[in-house]
Amino acid sequence: MFLGHYLAIDPVWAWSAYEPDPKSPWTIEKAGHLYRRAAWGANWTELQTALKQGPRASIDQLLTGGTGLEAFHQKAARLAEPLAQGTDDQRLRAWWLYVILNSPHPLEERLTLLWHNHFATSNAKVQNIGSMYRQNELLRRHALGNFDKLLHDVSEDSAMLVWLDTVANKKGKPNENYARELMELFSLGVGNYNETDIRQAARAFTGWGIKSDRYHFNPDEHDDGQKTVMGKTSTFGGHDIVKLCLDHPACARFVVRKLFRYFISETLQPDDALIEPLAARFRENHYDIKQLVSIILRSNLFFSPEVYRAKVKAPVEFAVTLVHMLEGRVDSIQLADLLDPLGQRLFAPPSVKGWDGGPNWLNSTTMLLRHNLCLALTSTEDRRFYNRCDPAQLTRKHMNVADPTLDQTTQFLADLFLQGDIPTTTHSKFVARCTQLKQQKYAAYWSQDFIKDYQTRAIAHLILTLPEFQLA
Amino acid sequence: MFITRRSMLKSVFAGTGLVAYGLDAPGFLSRTLAATPRLDEKGGKETILVVVQLTGGNDGLNTVIPFSDPLYASSRPTLKQKPADMKKLTKEIALHPAMGGMAELWQDQALSIVQGVGYPNPSQSHFTSMDIWHSAQLKSPYSDGWLGRSLGLMNRGAGSGYHLANKGEASPLALSGPVKCPSITSLTDLELHTIGQNGSDRRKQRESIEQNSVSGNAGNNSALLDFVQRTATGTFATVNRLREIAKQYQPKVPYPENGLAERLKLAAQLIDAEIGSRVYYVEQDGYDTHADQAASHSRLLGELSSSLTAFYKDLKARGQEKRVLILTFSEFGRRVKENGSQGTDHGAAAPVFLIGGKVQPGLIGDHPRLDRLDDGNLKHHTDFRSIYATALDQWLGVKSLEVLKEQFKPVKLIKA
Repeated sequence: MFLGHYLAIDPVWAWSAYEPDPKSPWTIEKAGHLYRRAAWGANWTELQTALKQGPRASIDQLLTGGTGLEAFHQKAARLAEPLAQGTDDQRLRAWWLYVILNSPHPLEERLTLLWHNHFATSNAKVQNIGSMYRQNELLRRHALGNFDKLLHDVSEDSAMLVWLDTVANKKGKPNENYARELMELFSLGVGNYNETDIRQAARAFTGWGIKSDRYHFNPDEHDDGQKTVMGKTSTFGGHDIVKLCLDHPACARFVVRKLFRYFISETLQPDDALIEPLAARFRENHYDIKQLVSIILRSNLFFSPEVYRAKVKAPVEFAVTLVHMLEGRVDSIQLADLLDPLGQRLFAPPSVKGWDGGPNWLNSTTMLLRHNLCLALTSTEDRRFYNRCDPAQLTRKHMNVADPTLDQTTQFLADLFLQGDIPTTTHSKFVARCTQLKQQKYAAYWSQDFIKDYQTRAIAHLILTLPEFQLA
Repeated sequence: MFITRRSMLKSVFAGTGLVAYGLDAPGFLSRTLAATPRLDEKGGKETILVVVQLTGGNDGLNTVIPFSDPLYASSRPTLKQKPADMKKLTKEIALHPAMGGMAELWQDQALSIVQGVGYPNPSQSHFTSMDIWHSAQLKSPYSDGWLGRSLGLMNRGAGSGYHLANKGEASPLALSGPVKCPSITSLTDLELHTIGQNGSDRRKQRESIEQNSVSGNAGNNSALLDFVQRTATGTFATVNRLREIAKQYQPKVPYPENGLAERLKLAAQLIDAEIGSRVYYVEQDGYDTHADQAASHSRLLGELSSSLTAFYKDLKARGQEKRVLILTFSEFGRRVKENGSQGTDHGAAAPVFLIGGKVQPGLIGDHPRLDRLDDGNLKHHTDFRSIYATALDQWLGVKSLEVLKEQFKPVKLIKA
């Protein structure tokens, strides 16, 4: 179905839980869609399991995560310890990619990345790996927790205190940076406060600083006079301002819109009628992020054709889903370096607005680099990755045909990467390419197995360079 | 009721071809409609800025020389140039003897020299001063670059700026911003890599990838998929053009054999390939001449002059010189008095060169006075951000106020 010029969406229908029925059955495409949005894509086993157990159980599992999460968190913290004391942001980026690739709770990492983009803080200014790491841990701790706690804790986070100049905000010399972004970018959005609110609110954060890398309140530098913010007057402190923002009706809508764009669609512009029911539930549930995500993921709208492939994969998603689907075990330092030219350097978003995302990820250079990244990972010929992410090995592992033909292998890879959902014209081009590959002359010393693996990798690259693969 | 951006754009801009990039906010259209080149269309020729960074702090006083001032010779007992060797531009001002090429550009009315460029309270640290020039901000944090911010305000579809890098050279802060700018060392960095045991095998694979980039079947969310397909088409068009260029490109004039010339030749290739990029960034390192400056500085200026001259002539021979503006800068000039090791220490104000078919030729501003120094350093009279502002407003067509967050007085650099 083609999306029309105007599309009326009934909010009641939109946010009701999707139940498979003959008109809209549970399919491999829907399972793939769910895993692209709520995890880092589905590998073959996950696809088959999700297909079998249906949406409800699959979403339950994604919301809780797999077993061994506690142990994994401990391991990740141990790995981070030495590098958090250093100054090397490359290793910190590689560390997070390692966590993303290996965590038994992919949805938690997805939310951590969302909050990293929401509270976009860059080490370019913070210049403290330990602080950046601790902020990352904070975002993860609250990733699926409560937004009110998250907002309070982020306000005191030492990386944030530096990033938005709270450390320079002193009695008599207020710095408005944090007060402004708290309202504009973190909780309300423009139009819900005025410049006086910002100036007054800035005074409430005076005296907030850092001692031994941690939050420290200095009463001597705090302005404890009366402030009037959003119609209320008191001797507000910083947390009172955060609370005023959280109490504002715009706050829930603002956060819901952010999650809408992240989980549902980058092309649909939801109106307030669609957003408000979700925002109301979010408020009733005391800003419980997990419940909000749960409603979104289970909804009719989430599984509707209108939002299918309605997002451009961010560089991290693009690379990580590929590695995950191929069950690769790659060097995350190498991977981290490849993401930089694609435009997403973790711990270094371009500004406090975060990455613009969506279509902005793609231009002729980044597209080319994405294609070349796919080849580097899957060709087995690149010395950064060798055969650690090899489609040929994967087909041998999962295809239960003794000696599959190239066409069967192509079908398997198309199912894995795109759940077989490719246009018929593309499909016939694949058939033609397979014929070419089969008829081609190979070096006399190439064994039959070697030739087959080579053909598998060629077809894999072909599928990975399809426009459809750029979308989530 | 709600609406996709695409459908909205479709109804408003039906038939204009804008849908290609139509997923951006409507503000994008109103702001840069006129300045948006189409990657897949020839003829949409946009102005181009090439920035050449002289790394290390170029000795401006021995580059653009106030030879008639006796204080010049007395400040530079061993490093002073002989009047007979200098390339005289006016009765007072000459170029370093190694800069014969630039003197030719002067004759051709293609060279503009802004003298005495700097900024208030100049930093003598390479890193701080470089960050200031790159970010166009006088105070830390220097978190992004003036060119990066500009590119963020330009079109998206056509791509980005290019850093033409020496091997291992990090991407400059100047290019850092919302649009990711690649660092490339050669055209092979912009090739589509494919699997293949031989050339014909690779070609077939490449053709197959290209054919599949347009499926023609848009599916449910044609807006985004259309956009990806068009980006892919543009990508392959660019890649193929570059491959042809790499095979066929013959410079119209000989380039000297040095790294800077190689990188500028690459810029000429990319410009001639019409890849749609509007900003190129090139560095020449080695200007930190604290000791035995004469020979090394002469070599550096010789390379700079001959490379820039070849670049300009090559562009001119291709009819591209009127759309290209070349700007050179260094993080600071050097101390007026030479030091005890036949070198010079870190200084302040220095000249900026602008080269191109549309520059207002000549000297802009006086040479800073040698008898009114600031801690032994030349005083600036033109803020470098005025030059940036002029390049942004009058050349690239980007509002300088949005990039520099402050209004700077323009400099008469560009012919009306």
